Amino acid sequence: MNYWKEFAKGLWEKNPQLVLGLAFCPTLAVSVSVSNALWMTLAATFVLVSSNLLVSAIRVIVPAHLRIPIFITIIAGFVTVVDLLLEAYQPEVYRSLGIFIPLIVVNCIILGRAEEFAQKNGVFLSVLDGLGMGIGFGLTLVVLSAVREILGANKLFGYTLIPGMEPALAMALAPGAFFTLALMLWAMNAVNSRKKGR
Amino acid sequence: MKIGRQIIRPTLVLTAITVASVFLLSHVERLAGPIIIKRARQKQEAALSLVLPGYIVLSSRTIAVDGVEFTYWEAEKKVENRTVRAYAFLTKGTGYGGDMVMMAGVDEKGEVLGLSIISQSETPGLGDRCLEVADRETLWDHLKGGIPERDFSDATRIPWFQNQFKGLDANEKIQIVKRGDWEPGMRDGLLEINAISAITGATITSAGVVRGLESGLDRLRRAREAAAAEQTGGIR
Repeated sequence: MNYWKEFAKGLWEKNPQLVLGLAFCPTLAVSVSVSNALWMTLAATFVLVSSNLLVSAIRVIVPAHLRIPIFITIIAGFVTVVDLLLEAYQPEVYRSLGIFIPLIVVNCIILGRAEEFAQKNGVFLSVLDGLGMGIGFGLTLVVLSAVREILGANKLFGYTLIPGMEPALAMALAPGAFFTLALMLWAMNAVNSRKKGR
Repeated sequence: MKIGRQIIRPTLVLTAITVASVFLLSHVERLAGPIIIKRARQKQEAALSLVLPGYIVLSSRTIAVDGVEFTYWEAEKKVENRTVRAYAFLTKGTGYGGDMVMMAGVDEKGEVLGLSIISQSETPGLGDRCLEVADRETLWDHLKGGIPERDFSDATRIPWFQNQFKGLDANEKIQIVKRGDWEPGMRDGLLEINAISAITGATITSAGVVRGLESGLDRLRRAREAAAAEQTGGIR
């Protein structure tokens, strides 16, 4: 089924971070805790789906040479909506995600999908594509942040796992993010190349 | 024709999209704006009641000290027919990850009543433990649902690091003990030597908070002197 394929490709086959190699910056930065990762996923997916929807809806009237400023205006508008709503209704989340909410504007997945998919396809397909890509982005983020939160803080969802155990702090800092992401990329490549070999 | 396609049409499209964005944003702003302002005010009030426990805030002033804006609050409470004054102020200290903004309260004798770190960007797991609250339950407790009744209100969940400042003497130098650890039993010993226990063995964040507090106290003294001079000058 074509619709299912467009949705599901973001999860594994064209996973934004692990296959397309996009959006490493927010991935490394907000993967300290699982709850951060989930909120980031929600915020990015909302922007991705909305911008894909709007870009595909107006794709026939957008002059080709003006498409980048137009896409950025649309994306920035939705990001500001997320920014204001989070600050008003989830101030704790807003404080811990900090600068990475406004930086969704330059998240390359979103501009990439607008450019690569939404401006060439219909509204429904574009929404499915955005949804799949957003969830794929979130899956990578959640796995990465679960590993980092368990090993780096001895916690999961903010609850202590083993009372009194000293966590491996390096996992909560930048090196832990790079190690874990590298292992995930390796696993992804290993699985995919084995598949191809058959 | 060419002008129409290359200049007028793109201009119209771009204008329409910008107008639509602004329309959407202005509505979201109308919804979220008042809540954001209300939250900021609540946060400041919560910080004030934390650093001035039991006091009634009378006034706030913002004046320039050394060319830097300095905001402080005056408060008082009645203790056995006597009125005790206290002051709260906002100050900044430099940590490992940039400026940390904090609010502190002192009474007229110079006893620190409380300290609240309002914003910080210290290293996760190290410096940012300045906001750490002792855990009361583990994930297993939570999953089992067997958590005994506990007090989860914000008032009692004051981060241990901040709480150590309560009762220190602001007129003396504040010492830093490099233990990287704190427990309720250490409290009296630390107060005796006017010291706090640092968050970690490396004391950048802890020293930043202490230095921020000290510079705030210094500014408060000068701001009050300036205010007093202004007042007596006004009467004459």
